Amino acid sequence: MTAKIKNAVVATLCGLWIFGFALWGLFEPDADISLSERRKLAQMPDFSAETLLSGSFMSDFEKYSTDQFPLRESFRRLKSVNEYYLFNRLDTNNIYLYKGYASQLEYPLKESSVENAAKRFSYIYETYLKDSGGKVYLSVIPDKNYFLAEDGGYPHIDFDEMISSLREKTDFAEYIDIIPTLDISDYYRTDTHWRQEKLEDTAKVLADGLGAELSLEYEQKKLDEPFYGVYSGQSALPLAGEDMYYLDNGLFDSVKVYNLEAQDYTPVYDLERASGYDPYEIYLSGPRSVMIIENPGQDNGNELVIFRDSFGSSIAPLLIEAYSKITLVDIRYLASPMLKNFVDFENADTLFLYSTLVLNNSETFK
Amino acid sequence: MVFSSIPFLYYFLPAVILCYFIAPKCLKNAVLLIFSLLFYAWGEPRFVVFMLISIAQGYVLGLLTERFRSKKPLARLFTAISCLISIGLLVYCKYADFFISNFNAITGLSVPLLGIVLPIGISFYTFQILSYNIDVARGTVAAQKNPIDLGAYVAMFPQLIAGPIVRYSDIAAQLKNRTHSLEKVSAGAGRFVIGLAKKVLIANRLAELINVFKASGDKSVLFMWIYAVAYSIHIYFDFSGYSDMAIGLGKIFGFDFPENFNYPFVSKSATEFWRRWHMTLGSWLRDYVYIPMGGNRVSKPRWFLNIFTVWLLTGFWHGAAWTFIFWGLFFAVLLVAEKLWYLKYLEKSKFLAHIYKLLFVAVSFVIFDSASLAEAFGNIGAMFGLGGLPLVSAEAVYNLRSYAVILILGIIGSTPLIKRLVEKFAASPKREKLLNIAEPVALVLLLAVSTGYLVDGSFNPFLYFRF
Repeated sequence: MTAKIKNAVVATLCGLWIFGFALWGLFEPDADISLSERRKLAQMPDFSAETLLSGSFMSDFEKYSTDQFPLRESFRRLKSVNEYYLFNRLDTNNIYLYKGYASQLEYPLKESSVENAAKRFSYIYETYLKDSGGKVYLSVIPDKNYFLAEDGGYPHIDFDEMISSLREKTDFAEYIDIIPTLDISDYYRTDTHWRQEKLEDTAKVLADGLGAELSLEYEQKKLDEPFYGVYSGQSALPLAGEDMYYLDNGLFDSVKVYNLEAQDYTPVYDLERASGYDPYEIYLSGPRSVMIIENPGQDNGNELVIFRDSFGSSIAPLLIEAYSKITLVDIRYLASPMLKNFVDFENADTLFLYSTLVLNNSETFK
Repeated sequence: MVFSSIPFLYYFLPAVILCYFIAPKCLKNAVLLIFSLLFYAWGEPRFVVFMLISIAQGYVLGLLTERFRSKKPLARLFTAISCLISIGLLVYCKYADFFISNFNAITGLSVPLLGIVLPIGISFYTFQILSYNIDVARGTVAAQKNPIDLGAYVAMFPQLIAGPIVRYSDIAAQLKNRTHSLEKVSAGAGRFVIGLAKKVLIANRLAELINVFKASGDKSVLFMWIYAVAYSIHIYFDFSGYSDMAIGLGKIFGFDFPENFNYPFVSKSATEFWRRWHMTLGSWLRDYVYIPMGGNRVSKPRWFLNIFTVWLLTGFWHGAAWTFIFWGLFFAVLLVAEKLWYLKYLEKSKFLAHIYKLLFVAVSFVIFDSASLAEAFGNIGAMFGLGGLPLVSAEAVYNLRSYAVILILGIIGSTPLIKRLVEKFAASPKREKLLNIAEPVALVLLLAVSTGYLVDGSFNPFLYFRF
């Protein structure tokens, strides 16, 4: 190729690229959501003298043009592949891959966050639980970093320090150690969460600690669609989809699940959510402020209140057989001082069940 | 608007290129001016007023200076007024609060700060207008009769917000007559894409590392050095990448802007470093400050005073803070010391020169990046083990591993190694043909990957915006 032809090729290719994507972007209809990132995409901002002079049009247009760029997912993937495989970065968008599992870097240990969580729990104990007649328990769910980070040489928090610090500050609660029942294979490769079908041991230990008995006779059912966890979209790396299962038995047909926020009854497994933003929300419809599970088949009158994050959604159904009622409370969405209006603590046992990820970022606790 | 953004690359750029090349020759500068003002207004619409005032006064006073050239005092007066307005606007916008806060600190008074937001690129276009009016006064260029042409020169978006500092004399002829060719468009596009990749793929990645360092609670001596090296490479790729994009865009529109960098990190001394770093600023200060003060053709004490004045201004130009002044003076001390004592030894020992260079580059940019002098001294002390930090920390090792390839690419890219290899490879006609095939492919790949980073909403600050 002569220099003259090269010049023509360079100018043509660069021109085609810039003008091609510019026109494509102009004529392609705007998308509403990004399923992989689980968020709404920015839309064309209002154009007015006010938005123009304030500069908000420009900043919003930048977000819009980035969000609505043609082949956006492919470009994100190109970036991540370049970052991870060519630049040999150990993580991309804070996600690393180790032993086939994707996990998010979570460090350093935020003492203030653990203290904040402990303060919230203490407030709840002092306000609602102290004289309620029930017992109080605490259990901590390790995130995937617990099993991967140290071994893989990734920065990580000192989990033992976190748990002992939390236990010291919440000495009103009896600690149930579920960590020995878990290993990395109990978690999804591409998601934050644990797999419900692998939690029978964990549920058993938890129930033993709570003084409850479980038969744990379930049928394992598989979702039709592969599951791409939150880290799949966040990292934008080409990660394979996974099989997703849920544990079912006849009991769940009679169990009533009431969503207090929506004032609506929902099934234990909301399978319509399998094709939504976050398929993990099939379990008790995902994180909701207050969910009440009533088990008409259990007449022992035992009640349990679980303060939980999204991990709690998948394990709570496994505990219901031992209780007449389980109330799930998420204080990320409902302020603790408001609980008296929605939750009955009288004679109910209470379990604080939180993952280390949430405990290290507890500023969302209300 | 920054070049390394989706709105610029895929909305603004195609629009301006289309309108520019459709427009007849007599309207091309007007198209450039209109789009340049739009480009500038995108960041902060109200600051366009400052720019228009600067252009208007430069235009009128330039004409008056030329008209009354025979009456020297009057011509000098017009030039002085123009310089005062330009410098006054710059001082008001950029330095007023610095002077007030120092005045308050000295007197114990509490004069309220003005809280002025710095108009983007004001330091650059002020210097351009100053050079125009001074050159008109000196008679080295003719005053521009056409306000659109002068406006297009000052506001021209490729070099508006981050240089290079293009003097009017550099492009006066091109404003009237310039050639457009496929060769120039191709060279410009290539240069632009390389600059974009330098900015997006290297500078922005290292900016992330620097942010990680600053937020870290696990610092160590190793981490301090990683930071110092990363920041030095980051600022070079950030600024030189932007200059590459500016020069490339200029070429597409038919202009030849001056070079701004010439592999400064291969320098063997601070003297050489400043011949290769931000060359248009260095030459501007040399021609409009240092030489008029007498340069080096004066007594030794006066010569040192000239050097210190220029470097004080260099530091102060970069920012209204004591750290920048200290940074400028740090180089003044190095330059004087080199001239007086050890430049000849550095020139003899490559090894010594490289150690010396690594030290002064790293230290100088740590000063540059510090929020205060106390922080600068603290960081420099910590680099040399005086901060009570451990030698190594887990986070430092992790980040060194994670950013090793980017750091290595940055170090290699800071040298002429790749350029020399390409030139060597292209020595035979056969291999040159191969390179001619590889170049367009490589450019499109770089454009695609850079777009990927921009689409993913990566970290994309631009350092020289604040100047």
